[in-house]
Amino acid sequence: MKCKIIIDPSREEEILVYAQKTSPLTEAIERLAREEESTWIGYGKESIVPLDPKEVLCFSVEGNKVYAHLEKERLWMKCRLYQLEERLPEEFIKINQSCIANCKKIARFEVSISGALRVVFRNGYSDYVSRRQLKFVKERFGIL
Amino acid sequence: MNKYLKEFLHRGLMFGGFGPIILGIVYWILSVAVEGFSLSGGQVCLGIVSIYLLAFVQAGASVFNQIEEWGIGKSLLVHFLTLFVAYSGCYLLNTWIPFEPMVLLIFAAIFIAVYFTVWLTVYFIVRATRNKLNHQLK
Repeated sequence: MKCKIIIDPSREEEILVYAQKTSPLTEAIERLAREEESTWIGYGKESIVPLDPKEVLCFSVEGNKVYAHLEKERLWMKCRLYQLEERLPEEFIKINQSCIANCKKIARFEVSISGALRVVFRNGYSDYVSRRQLKFVKERFGIL
Repeated sequence: MNKYLKEFLHRGLMFGGFGPIILGIVYWILSVAVEGFSLSGGQVCLGIVSIYLLAFVQAGASVFNQIEEWGIGKSLLVHFLTLFVAYSGCYLLNTWIPFEPMVLLIFAAIFIAVYFTVWLTVYFIVRATRNKLNHQLK
């Protein structure tokens, strides 16, 4: 079987296999892909760190990159926010178009002068709750 | 480009179009309610362009409240002054108010009253939500 790997940092990562029928090889590729998907990996400046999502304060998008915010560091994730959203445990909630927050890592809520609600996480990082998501945040905390 | 300027333009372009829609509805109501109501092509054109710019500025100016380097006083003052200049300019340009000191004074008083009433209302509603959410966090 021919094998071609294209290294292109600008493309979304995917594995595509053309085969006439399933075989031990296609099954092995499938298994490896599933294992890779179920593993949470964060990339630091000089490190690659396995992540426990429950330790993540929030996932945010900055400049087209997704970052996992931990108590003391910020790690780059090689995936899109919507892909994370589908796999995250239930304590996570989307607070705006570019941020998914861990409800158990929220230190407090604040009001900004624009009248927007801000979420302040345990490490001091903060992001706002969009009007669209406010209803869902209220529901999650049982005040609606 | 400065990220706040970019956000100003982005919000302005997103919501600017709502201005002429609202103006159209107002014109329609006036045409139904006021007998003999009519406007020249130039007046309609001026109205559409100026209301688009007004809505553009109104939407874009909301970014001032998110500039973290600015304190609450500066943010509010810049936001308020931007809207006041945009609204009074638009009203004068369309001759919806005459250029007379007393009228401008009354306009400014009404504008200030409405601006701070809206701001305080929004602020206290969100503050109440914040208190409830913080209570749930404990």
